[in-house]
Amino acid sequence: MADALGAFLEGTVRTATPLAFAALGEALVERSGVINIGLEGSIIAGALGGVVTAGGAGTGVGLAAALVAGAAVAAVFALFAVKLRADQIITGTAVTLLSLGLTGTLYRSAFGTGGAALGTPTLGPLAIPGLSAIPLVGPALFAQPITTYLAMALVPLASWWLARTHAGLALRACGENPAAARAAGIAVGRVQTAAIIFGGALGGLAGGTLVLAQAGTFVEGMSAGRGFIAIAIVVLGRWQPLGVGLAALLFGAASALQFAFQAMGWQLPYQLFLASPYLLTLLALALARSRFVAPAALGKIVEA
Amino acid sequence: MLIRRVAVTLLAVLAACGKGEKPAAAGHDAAKSGIRVALLTPGPISDQAWNGGAYAGLMRIKDSLGAQVSHVQTKSPQDFDENFRQYGSQGYDLVFGHGFEFQEAAARVAKDFPKTIYVTTSGHTVAANLAGMDFAFEEGAYLAGMVAASVSKSGILGCIGGTELPPVKASFKAFELGAKSVNPKAQVLTGYIGNWEDVSAGKEQALAYIARGADVLFQNADAAGLGIIQAARERKVFAVGANADQNGVAPETIIGSVVIDLPHALLTVAREVQEKHFTPRVISLGLKDEVVRWTVNPKLANAVPANITKSVDSVRALLRSGSMHLPVGATSDSSR
Repeated sequence: MADALGAFLEGTVRTATPLAFAALGEALVERSGVINIGLEGSIIAGALGGVVTAGGAGTGVGLAAALVAGAAVAAVFALFAVKLRADQIITGTAVTLLSLGLTGTLYRSAFGTGGAALGTPTLGPLAIPGLSAIPLVGPALFAQPITTYLAMALVPLASWWLARTHAGLALRACGENPAAARAAGIAVGRVQTAAIIFGGALGGLAGGTLVLAQAGTFVEGMSAGRGFIAIAIVVLGRWQPLGVGLAALLFGAASALQFAFQAMGWQLPYQLFLASPYLLTLLALALARSRFVAPAALGKIVEA
Repeated sequence: MLIRRVAVTLLAVLAACGKGEKPAAAGHDAAKSGIRVALLTPGPISDQAWNGGAYAGLMRIKDSLGAQVSHVQTKSPQDFDENFRQYGSQGYDLVFGHGFEFQEAAARVAKDFPKTIYVTTSGHTVAANLAGMDFAFEEGAYLAGMVAASVSKSGILGCIGGTELPPVKASFKAFELGAKSVNPKAQVLTGYIGNWEDVSAGKEQALAYIARGADVLFQNADAAGLGIIQAARERKVFAVGANADQNGVAPETIIGSVVIDLPHALLTVAREVQEKHFTPRVISLGLKDEVVRWTVNPKLANAVPANITKSVDSVRALLRSGSMHLPVGATSDSSR
């Protein structure tokens, strides 16, 4: 039983890592007043970037390429949504569809119809001496690939940056009251563009994590809706980095629970377990009462 | 305002192009004598399994028969009807819907395009221009179960599928029967990922099984199955390949593969269509036709006890001769 519990906790953290990256990025984007539904596109682009480069150049380059690929997709979104002030939801949807299709085509042109199979190197777990020996939670928290530690570090960093720096304040001002922000001399469009590109880079990192820390291969459509789950996580985490980190863990736990239930051999409809993360979101959103609310100007088009 | 609208339209057009091959993309300049054959797959053809095998079949049809071919990957069940109709209206001679899930759409569309023959693989609906192929995948799965139980130390085996399609369910049932024929105490865990692409979820499901003590994993999850194989490889347990010969995907991990020779099966049907002696029926193919095979990975053949190899051979002979019947067939599942 302890084994099963340990496996469940490890699965929770593993599953939560890419979600945390994507959701943290999206949280910053939304705090700047933009909702980027194209996040899924950044994730799948990051996954492709990772698989294309890691085979020849190693996992480090793979992660960097994932970052760049995710940022590049986000830049397309920024061009349309910020520069040309197109509708953010429509633009985001188009970016997602474009990326899902294009990555499949590019993957086939890079690897042929046979694909990369399992030839991609992966980041093994990196056990932190001492800490990883703690019973139960040790392996779950401190014997993970490096990407997990990076996600853990990003949560307090983003929290601090958002609350305590001038740049963080400027970002929040854009999301709450862009007109006032402009009056105060903030280049709203530039701040939002930077936030979108950074958010896309984190989305790309999420995709890179899927390939390089988990699957060891690329599959068309392997992002499997994580971009949209990340957007739900942002809402559940009330746009606060710490809240988002915890919400990502909760989602990871819900998925890991589903795997654990099935491994227990319980004769219940598996669809019930598959639905559990989503039911959890609905429940949490319905019950959550918080002083933190969505940025006032979220999704609004800022007129020049 | 105008520039905004132009921008969005442009992006939408780009997105539509990105969605992949258009059915119309097939070369019209190809030889006029050849038949036109189309294939709809439910997933990416780079899965090295179910979809990859069918695509190889399509390529073989093109090479052997000089046919004009076209492939489209459907994104959702709503696409099934639409793509079937597209090919029907373009006058294709033969359209394959690759999987059990295509049956109903094929039956709906076939009525409207009497000149096009629709064939669904692992389907069993038949009409004037509608046929099904029924692969006795479960026969191979039974043999795989025998071998899996013989190489398992824990006696716990795992089966992981994409979604709970009747043919997948039947193959897991057969795997379990095979395993229990060798080790009556063997415990077989069965689970589903919920889709066929989430390779990372496949891996997590496999890791959860391995944590439960499973040391042989039978997967039938197409592209997501690669994640299951990856988990087995990392944790040094065995996996079983499915739908194509996957022994080479992870030679040190895959004990053997339950192969469906999709290229051979698809080519056989296409040839009948070209030679104009195709009759609508359920085309049953199994061990006896060499279309379904159980192929032990030669690199791991030593891990399989000699007496098991012998009993596998005799069970195979019984199944081929028809004197042994597995009570698990997808067609015997009347619930759907």
